[in-house]
Amino acid sequence: MDEQDLISRSKSGDVEAFNLLVEQYQRMVYNLALRMLGNAEAAEDASQDTFISAYKAIGKFRGGSFKSWVLRIAANSCHDKLRVARRYRVVSLDTLLLEPDELHQANNNESPEDYALRRELGRFLNEGLTHLSEDQRLVVILSDVQGLSYEEVAQATGSSLGTVKSRLNRGRTRLRDFLLQREELLPSKFRLNK
Amino acid sequence: MFRGKGKPLCRKVRGMLSEYIDSRLDGENKSLVERHLEICEACSKELESLRMTVQLLHRVAEVPAPRSFTVTVPEPRRESAFGPASMRWLRPATAIVAIALVVLLMGDFLHGFENNVRSNSGPGNITLSAGQLAPSSAAEQQTWVAVPGVMGQMSLATAKAVGYTDYTIVRSSAVSQPAASPIPSVLGNEGPTGAQVIVRGEGGVGWPLRQTEIGLGAAVFVLLGLMIYARRQRRKKVGAR
Repeated sequence: MDEQDLISRSKSGDVEAFNLLVEQYQRMVYNLALRMLGNAEAAEDASQDTFISAYKAIGKFRGGSFKSWVLRIAANSCHDKLRVARRYRVVSLDTLLLEPDELHQANNNESPEDYALRRELGRFLNEGLTHLSEDQRLVVILSDVQGLSYEEVAQATGSSLGTVKSRLNRGRTRLRDFLLQREELLPSKFRLNK
Repeated sequence: MFRGKGKPLCRKVRGMLSEYIDSRLDGENKSLVERHLEICEACSKELESLRMTVQLLHRVAEVPAPRSFTVTVPEPRRESAFGPASMRWLRPATAIVAIALVVLLMGDFLHGFENNVRSNSGPGNITLSAGQLAPSSAAEQQTWVAVPGVMGQMSLATAKAVGYTDYTIVRSSAVSQPAASPIPSVLGNEGPTGAQVIVRGEGGVGWPLRQTEIGLGAAVFVLLGLMIYARRQRRKKVGAR
């Protein structure tokens, strides 16, 4: 069954059809939330909120990219979580963005050394992402981590193409600056100035 | 770092490097960037460091979702008489009852249920026994009475409807219509229109104004309580599995 059929059936209240869509996109949504929030528990909450909101609003989906539509809901959910965390200082952003272990699950064909290096790199990148504004972080994650096109990022963030390009350029530059400042801490394999 | 250095052309080119890395520049801008990179070492280094940053980001591995985020909808339960779906009538009903209560209270406060004419009491009153007046006849409509303790006058029919038992007939335009009611004959015997006759009316219950107000007030409270209950029930129809 293709995606359009599942969407049509979901619109008519078929929750099983909607859950097939959830299974298709839950990994992407969870990874976006995890990178945005840096906290596995908060990311789970945000992901669940995303799909509940999507189910309630599926009737308003007017076509286009379902992936972008779901990611936009996920992005809003992440913004809400960060806003609440800031307002009530329940968990500071620094704590939120500690690197969870599950970010570094070893691949089957990965050597222990490579795994350690990747873990170190992931820690640096995550820390670097915290130095970006929320908007820049969202665009960088969607484009460079999740591999969305500029058009998809624009739809997912509700921004113009020009805004996406600008945020991506600034976000990458800022992250690059962060990595250069801590280059001696980076594994030599990943240093920017070789 | 590389930021803030170079000439205006360098700044322009650096603003396009991100798009250049993603192969999103049109032909003209692409050749502009490439020509500049051939002669500007600083911008070339900037490009390489940005390209490396993007490559590092691409190496960030996706992790599997720790659990399923599928949603579940609770089985539709049979609605009780006060279930959420059956409560749609609550809001208009509450509004109607509340408006009725407000109108009633305002009318009561402003004596809107009485005629606003000065009382005309004095000597020469006549007492009528119950049954001497035809119930709610045209004569009663045209006969004006004063009630002790109440400002103004009202028609005899109103006085009886409200439940007043002691009232004084002030005037009656039914004098010229003797056939309409026993009143004109009484008045005719005692004097001209305007003579005062004390009438001992029938002790009817009339319109219980206070009880109506209290009843409406209670109804508003009950309806508001039901609305709050219904609203709470309506929340969280869809839950996480």
